[in-house]
Amino acid sequence: MQLAKVQHEVRMAGAKLPPIALPTNCPGCGVSLDPETLRKHAYVCECGHHFRLGADAWIILLADRGSWHERWGDVRSHDLLNWKVPKPYQATIDQLADEGLNEAVRTGTCTLGGRPIWLAAFDFRFVGGTLSIVAGERLARGMEQAAASGLPYLLVSASGGARMQEGVLALMQMAKVNAAVGRLHSSGVPFFSVLTDPTFGGTAASLALLADINIAEPGAAIGFTGPRVIKQATYADLPAGFQSAEFQLARGQVDMVVIRTELRRLLAHLLEMYP
Amino acid sequence: MTRHGRRLEETTLTVWQVVELARHASRPYSLDYIRRLAPDFIELHGDRISADDPALVAGVGTWHGRTTVFLGHQKGRSLKERVARNWGMMHPEGYRKALRLAHHAAKFGFPIISLIDTPGAYPGAGAEERGIAAAIARAIMEWFRIPVPIVAAVIGEGGSGGALGMGVADRVIMLENSIYSVASPEAAASIVWRDNSRKVEAAEQLQLTSRDLLAMGVVEEVVPEPEGGAHMDFDAAARVLDEALFRHAQPLLAQPADVLLQHRYERFRYIDSLIHAEPHFGPKID
Repeated sequence: MQLAKVQHEVRMAGAKLPPIALPTNCPGCGVSLDPETLRKHAYVCECGHHFRLGADAWIILLADRGSWHERWGDVRSHDLLNWKVPKPYQATIDQLADEGLNEAVRTGTCTLGGRPIWLAAFDFRFVGGTLSIVAGERLARGMEQAAASGLPYLLVSASGGARMQEGVLALMQMAKVNAAVGRLHSSGVPFFSVLTDPTFGGTAASLALLADINIAEPGAAIGFTGPRVIKQATYADLPAGFQSAEFQLARGQVDMVVIRTELRRLLAHLLEMYP
Repeated sequence: MTRHGRRLEETTLTVWQVVELARHASRPYSLDYIRRLAPDFIELHGDRISADDPALVAGVGTWHGRTTVFLGHQKGRSLKERVARNWGMMHPEGYRKALRLAHHAAKFGFPIISLIDTPGAYPGAGAEERGIAAAIARAIMEWFRIPVPIVAAVIGEGGSGGALGMGVADRVIMLENSIYSVASPEAAASIVWRDNSRKVEAAEQLQLTSRDLLAMGVVEEVVPEPEGGAHMDFDAAARVLDEALFRHAQPLLAQPADVLLQHRYERFRYIDSLIHAEPHFGPKID
């Protein structure tokens, strides 16, 4: 990896990335990690291991400095089904809000390389990046506005699927969002999807794999059913690399696997090619 | 509750008893209903790309004097048939077969009836290798573009994305003892508790019975079943279902395609509006 280029890319993107929770050693190569060095390299280890980023980091990484304009950030989830055990859902979401997280999806407008776009980023730290009513609403509204205004739509996903604690209404978000994806496509605006680790279940089976161009991060796990459930249900031995980004590339589900430090440059170029 | 037929009464069943009825081994399956709704039903096979998925039956039949496309998850009755039907769990080829028949219906202006009865899409390695996530995603998106009336009915289990992949319709109704859920109670327990033996508690919290879904505004109607459940009298269950399906299909048949598609969009786009107005309407556990 060319570290000089990495630094340039990250600086170009805007402010410094926020600190993230890191293990002591890299799960990819075992090297002892220096958070400050890693932060300058968009949290990609020299061995190529990509650490998970929250929505806040993605916005800083992709939006031109000062261009981010968040939308519908005040629409918040609450416990609609009176979900009590093992942990009250309301307590779960209140606690996450206290930690400064604002739902599993944040969306808004920004520029990327000077081009105005709609950006939506999942946050895996918020109940596993699960699709909720609020997440679905932010996605659908953003896509409707992108279609109406002609702005390209950029998605960064990291999600375990639909949120159990919102029951069948969470499932229905897949239909709500895909209705909007269909209209986004009909409107002719470009839709680019960046699939990060992990993207599963109702998110993989709704908007994440339906873009004009699907881009995956190296090593990201992408699929419908998680490996634990597949093993439970079928007693199958899954080969190493099953459901990885590279596996999905070989099977025709994604267009390319792109290292995070090259992503911004690639997206800026794509936005020029798909005006 | 219903304007015709038997009135839907309060139930004394527990949530788990409803789950067990929805999965009852003697319960009528899609073909049991389809052959009663359209005795001249002709089954059609294949996704025209690589395979035929036996977990989904598809075909055409004459229904109330009109050629209609029928789609339905099909579980097996005997062990051999269950294996052959893969317990009604579709592979990617099944969703492609469904879309092929949807475009077939669009070409000829045939309405579509979709019967839902699946634990979920197949959670196996082969389905993953052949792109089950994208197959479901594409199906859900494409249903919004099929310019003919679609009425769906959950007749047993409405399990997760595998059910929703067949459940985008202008009207969605449920049989009284059917369930529709974000995940099976076992899967939800496994996700939330990391222990799938907590399935009963999970089922109680998920609000997955037909009455729950009607109250949430996710389905238009709950269709009463014969005393004791649909398995007690296939003919009577099919008659009531037929009447309800036709009552919902009839006004749709007269609608111009653009109106139909706009209403279908709005049905799902604002499907959570009722619960936002009235949170906590169905508390079960305190």
